[in-house]
Amino acid sequence: MDKENHFVKIIQENQGLIFKISSIYTQCKSDQEDLYQDIVYQLWKSFGTFRKESKLSTWMYRVALNTALTKEKRRKRSGLKIPIEKVILKQSEAYNTEFEERLKILYHHIHHLNSLDKGLILLLLEGNKYDEIAEISGLTPSNVGTRISRIKNKLKSNISK
Amino acid sequence: MELEEIQYTWGQMSLELEKQKRLSKKIILEMMHQKYKNKFSRLLKFELMGALICFVFSGLILYNFSRLDTWYLWVCGIFTLLILLVMPIITLMAIQQIKSLDILNISNKDALIKYTKTKSYLLAIQQFGAYASFPVFLTSMPVMSKILKNKDFFSVSKDIWFYVMIVLFGVGLYFFIKWGIGCYKRITNSAEEILKELDEY
Repeated sequence: MDKENHFVKIIQENQGLIFKISSIYTQCKSDQEDLYQDIVYQLWKSFGTFRKESKLSTWMYRVALNTALTKEKRRKRSGLKIPIEKVILKQSEAYNTEFEERLKILYHHIHHLNSLDKGLILLLLEGNKYDEIAEISGLTPSNVGTRISRIKNKLKSNISK
Repeated sequence: MELEEIQYTWGQMSLELEKQKRLSKKIILEMMHQKYKNKFSRLLKFELMGALICFVFSGLILYNFSRLDTWYLWVCGIFTLLILLVMPIITLMAIQQIKSLDILNISNKDALIKYTKTKSYLLAIQQFGAYASFPVFLTSMPVMSKILKNKDFFSVSKDIWFYVMIVLFGVGLYFFIKWGIGCYKRITNSAEEILKELDEY
């Protein structure tokens, strides 16, 4: 398989991951689409240098989270704040208003976290273990553990408010 | 919502996303295309604002043109008007041309050649505009002096501070233009990078 088709296949298989990262780091549809595009673009740019020393998912998380964090920093500097318009999932048969409502609440809580915490909770929710999260984020596993327990407490107190 | 519920909802969302239609190769390529276009959209926005200011000034000069009652004020007025009206239009057309390059439907080598030509044209226009802004600055002073204060700029006595202010403004203008051209070069170079990367695709 040539490089182009291989890349397209990887993007197709992992589009959900890109969607989730782009939606937790943005608050409106246009920003999310923009970030999605940027992540795909940055993945393509670094695809040539991906040497399979790390897992494909680790490489994707790293590139995607770095892109999201850089973009978020730039957006914060420009002072732009746009309210949440809607949760950006396309409708399917299983989709219902109750699910939409739960997603809204979920995004609401995650959007309240700081940039690094958003990334860590995403990696945790995606089912990664602490050492995997450490490898992706560049933190030590014990630091990841401490931070995640703090995030959980923060989320708990936000939820109970 | 409890933490467990967050985890459950996240899992459900992941399942939903798995089910959704997969991105086609064409859409992925279009994302890169859109990225190229976005580079120039920002440039176009700033140029549109600049053009609007130029047109407002042109309107003011045109409306009061009959007040320019000597041959040299006429010359200054016409020169200022020409630059203020023509330069923004040429610049906007050049940006539109470079922005609408159909990089998906022509081979990327062709796109790169076309892009390089249009980029040179755009940068040449910018450089001409930069050089022209100095004489426009000088010719607009007598025109504005006549229109706003009804005074002949050339016959009014001027003190040393007037010349100091002109030099300071000129220096400020020089740095502003240098910065502006730098921005243009950065944007056009990064758009060129996108085309080169698409070429590798």
